[in-house]
Amino acid sequence: MAAKKSTLKVILLGDGGVGKSSLMNRYVTNKFDAHLFHTIGVEFLNKELTVDGCKVTLQIWDTAGQERFRSLRTPFYRGSDCCLLTFSVDDNQSFLNLNNWKKEFIYYADIKEPEKFPFVVLGNKVDVTERQVSLEDARQWCQENGDYPYYETSAKDATNVAVAFEEAVHRVLAMDDKTDYLIPTDTVKLHRKPRSANICCS
Amino acid sequence: MAADSVLKVIFELDGVFIHPGADEGGTDQDLLLSGSLRILEKDAEVLVEYRPLEDSVDPSNMLCAGQDSSSVVEWAQSPRDKSQSHQLLETQQSYETEWDMVNAVSFRKKPCANGEGSLSHSQGRSRWAFSVSVSDLRSITVKDEGWTFLILHLKEPSAPLPALHFHQGGSREFLDSLRRFSLLTESPGDQTCLLVSTPNKVLSQSFENLLDDNNFGLVHRFQRDPYVATLGGLSKVTNYIFDALRGAEEQQQRPPEEVADLLGEVIPGLEINQQEEPGFEVITRIDLGARPQVSRTEPLTADDWSKHLDAEGRLQGVEELRNKIFKGGLCHAVRKEAWKFLLGYFPWSSMSEERKSLQRAKTDEYFRMKLQWKSVSEEQERRNSRLRDYRSLIEKDVNRTDRTNRFYEGLNNPSLTLLHDILMTYCMYDFDLGYVQGMSDLLSPILFVMENEVDAFWCFVAFMDQMHQNFEEQMQGMKTQLLQLSTLLRLLDLAFWNYLESQESGYLYFCFRWLLIRFKRELNFQDVLRLWEVMWTGLPCQNFHLLVCCAILDSEKQKIMEENYGFNEILKHINELSMKLDIEEILQKAEGIFLQIRSCKDLPHSVSTILGFTDCHGSAPTKPGSAAALRPTRQDVCSNGLCRENRPPNSCRAEFTS
Repeated sequence: MAAKKSTLKVILLGDGGVGKSSLMNRYVTNKFDAHLFHTIGVEFLNKELTVDGCKVTLQIWDTAGQERFRSLRTPFYRGSDCCLLTFSVDDNQSFLNLNNWKKEFIYYADIKEPEKFPFVVLGNKVDVTERQVSLEDARQWCQENGDYPYYETSAKDATNVAVAFEEAVHRVLAMDDKTDYLIPTDTVKLHRKPRSANICCS
Repeated sequence: MAADSVLKVIFELDGVFIHPGADEGGTDQDLLLSGSLRILEKDAEVLVEYRPLEDSVDPSNMLCAGQDSSSVVEWAQSPRDKSQSHQLLETQQSYETEWDMVNAVSFRKKPCANGEGSLSHSQGRSRWAFSVSVSDLRSITVKDEGWTFLILHLKEPSAPLPALHFHQGGSREFLDSLRRFSLLTESPGDQTCLLVSTPNKVLSQSFENLLDDNNFGLVHRFQRDPYVATLGGLSKVTNYIFDALRGAEEQQQRPPEEVADLLGEVIPGLEINQQEEPGFEVITRIDLGARPQVSRTEPLTADDWSKHLDAEGRLQGVEELRNKIFKGGLCHAVRKEAWKFLLGYFPWSSMSEERKSLQRAKTDEYFRMKLQWKSVSEEQERRNSRLRDYRSLIEKDVNRTDRTNRFYEGLNNPSLTLLHDILMTYCMYDFDLGYVQGMSDLLSPILFVMENEVDAFWCFVAFMDQMHQNFEEQMQGMKTQLLQLSTLLRLLDLAFWNYLESQESGYLYFCFRWLLIRFKRELNFQDVLRLWEVMWTGLPCQNFHLLVCCAILDSEKQKIMEENYGFNEILKHINELSMKLDIEEILQKAEGIFLQIRSCKDLPHSVSTILGFTDCHGSAPTKPGSAAALRPTRQDVCSNGLCRENRPPNSCRAEFTS
């Protein structure tokens, strides 16, 4: 029996200009375009992964960061398996706003047990020499807010990008009793998400 | 008690007539009874109910074919049930006020003594009332005598049901609503006969579970708007079928539905497309006829342009000029001049001297505003968070706007400074709006063409006058346009529109970027210039850009439906069309669609309103060259057909009422 395919939805959140789209593009296409447009609306890319011999489709969602677009951005938070909170190490305000992004996500994604939800924090643009946020401050915030894994990334030179996304995948799978979730099987596991429990499959 | 459960009204249409005289072959041929036709959902059963319009329908006379038996059963209310029924009535009324469209009706079921299954009519109007289960329908005869009338046939032999005459339209809508519960197929031997088949019981049971359990989003929506929520919920049934066909692996994808449900709340008002309130205009499947082939012409040259200028620099033959621009666009050399007119910065009737003095005044005004933000000290800015936020975002976005275009490429490009300064000055011009992402996209082509800070600023201001609502706090412009687009799409291609609905994509969210910045990200830079100048002519009708959307969707619908794309895939597919579109092809098709709609008789009022067809319906097809007459006055109307000022927030609703 062939391995079952699963889709994991990961969402990138953070202030405008911290590099959300660039991180996504670096990870999915391994390319970097310094002059990429800022995102209008909502976009996503898929990346196929093999984890423990099983195929997983990572669906990475990228949104426009400006406050004005909040009402049309937040519906897409629903069903996220992991949230990548992103800031730029050369922009202190984007770091201070992490808390707001986290709150917005928990509220609109309707996360029932926020303390158990897998967040991963990315401090992007570490290639830039003039930092405004120190490694220590970032780590401290992550520690105090739920012991989130923290990665210092550079979409420009590819530092830590793949590692960070893979960590997100592992966090999600760990949440789900991964052996059960990914073992090749004839049936889709139904109790993972209560809302799909009424669909039978064989 | 199951029989007391609340009925949900799925479809309701007043003004459906029966002709009792004709049906009985009697002499009273002229007798018409008006009544209301409804599709009701009760438990797992779907009923078609007709009630003549009168004050007192006696429920005891109302006949009903039950789902579970072929025999006819009767709804009855005995006197001792009165207190209960009084209570129910109260419940009903409170529901009606709170839940708008849902009429909570309750009946007590009593087996009918009349076992032979015929419909015995008692006297009075109410004897024409009937209620049958959809699962008991064998077929529906559809006939046309200048209006449509339908005759419902039951599986079990019985006295014929009265023919339903749709003098005021709505039969298509009724049938479309029925299609949500049953399969209607044309009888091979008789194309006026639709055979009705309903899903088997096991499958219906799954549907029921699906709808019951579902998700809180649906429940939530139901409280806000039960009617739409019901329809939305039922479209999930379609999804279920698709999912079942596609296999188990796709079935985990529930989140898109939740996302769509929430989007539906953010983009309110779209449901009015789906409501068939009494007296509401029903947009039925209208035969639009063949789409005319349209050809485009060469761009207008500098020579052509100067031929239209008289000795004093006043433009002659403006309508002809505008038509030429609509049909072919402009050569690049003319743009710098012509765009100022197209955007309304220069009045068409002005002389060159007047324009020079206008430019002088506008230059002063620009630099006065520019000085305002330029002279804000760091100290001041520290205390002005809004200005600080605008500046920070502008700086970030200017560095991410059209940087591969030679005009903006490279480090320290002076054009980037201009882009920045104009956007900052615009914040001073309209501080309430300030800077919203997307505005740099609108400015960039204008600055590229103008190559002048002041002219670019004022042309940008004129363009923003049209686009302002898109960027406002409530994004009303976006909501209105999505609504209008949905109305147009429904007229043009009901099957595709239904498909999008079934895939939770009826809100057309995937067109968001197209509409927010007028296809700026979808086309290559040169094609954006062409599209915009064509659009700015205001020809051939109001809201032509929505027909451009329809043209693009028309080219993609086959792939979307054949590949059976769901919510996510549609969004992804549309996003990825960026830079793959051919502007001349799109403009040809969009104009063809315009001509097709224009020549249509009996155009729904809502469509005429969107496109600004103010003259009466059914006029002869307009030649492309004569379309200028349709153009609304530029000063009065924004490009989305609505005046920005003095517009009540819910006025988009009015457009859909007849």
